[in-house]
Amino acid sequence: MDRREFLSELGSRLNGLPKNDIEERLNFYDEMISDMTDDGLTEEDAVTKIGSVDDIATQIIGDTPIVKLVGEKIKPKRHLTALEIILIVLGAPIWIAVLCSLSAVVISVYCVLWSVIISLWAVFASLIVGSVGAMLYGIVVIVGGAAGAGTIFIGAGVLCAGVSIFMFFGCRAVTKGIIYLTALFALQIKKCFIKKEVER
Amino acid sequence: MDVQLKRGLMDVCVLSAIKNDESYGYKMIKDMAPYIEMSESTLYTVLKRLETANMLTVRAAEHNGRLRKYYKITDMGMNRIAEFMDDWQQIMSIYRFVTKEDTTNG
Repeated sequence: MDRREFLSELGSRLNGLPKNDIEERLNFYDEMISDMTDDGLTEEDAVTKIGSVDDIATQIIGDTPIVKLVGEKIKPKRHLTALEIILIVLGAPIWIAVLCSLSAVVISVYCVLWSVIISLWAVFASLIVGSVGAMLYGIVVIVGGAAGAGTIFIGAGVLCAGVSIFMFFGCRAVTKGIIYLTALFALQIKKCFIKKEVER
Repeated sequence: MDVQLKRGLMDVCVLSAIKNDESYGYKMIKDMAPYIEMSESTLYTVLKRLETANMLTVRAAEHNGRLRKYYKITDMGMNRIAEFMDDWQQIMSIYRFVTKEDTTNG
């Protein structure tokens, strides 16, 4: 892949970002390639050294705030005609509703993911509280004279403590996984904005 | 490495690459290469962040019939490096404590 192919490929993959941002990025890589070729590298080697367009585009999209992507998407590319403005106003009950429901879907996905995390840790916390409570109560019962019942309470407390230790590692792994998932989810949403622009 | 820590270290690395004299992207990557491998995309993100934070200024100048961007450190950027040196003293003393614990246990 030579410089021209690399830059045009990257440019089209970033379609959907503000024009200035794309231009600045492309100028940056163009300057890099020029400096590398001045340094003795061939154009192909320079492009290879910079990395795959795929990786670079993904990193750039990940670094760009979603507000910027949405802003660019809804910004009109030319002046709207009077008819279009009237249609937008008349269509407001529909598109506002659709927009609201789409946002609600996104927010609810986040809520579901986070509630899984919260509920897991809540179970973990209740196990710990339960285990401490059962052991203390067991001691009270033993002191009160009922050694058998007290021992059962202490045993239950130790069991809860044991389960909670296992659960801690499980909860931590699940939390990490879900945080990774939400990041992936955000990247996918951002990519939706990019893709639609390219298809046009 | 912790993301936040790595980000801070990369900022200081890039600032150090221009602390004596202004420089340009490719030269910065080459100067940093023996110490830290930084991709072009990462450098771009760091430069943008530092520019927004007023830690460096950018100017375009002609070179070999094309435009090249030169980055110059500001006083705020110099302060950031000084801050890092102070922080590092504390980190080193913590490091010494951590490694001391290692030898007593092992």
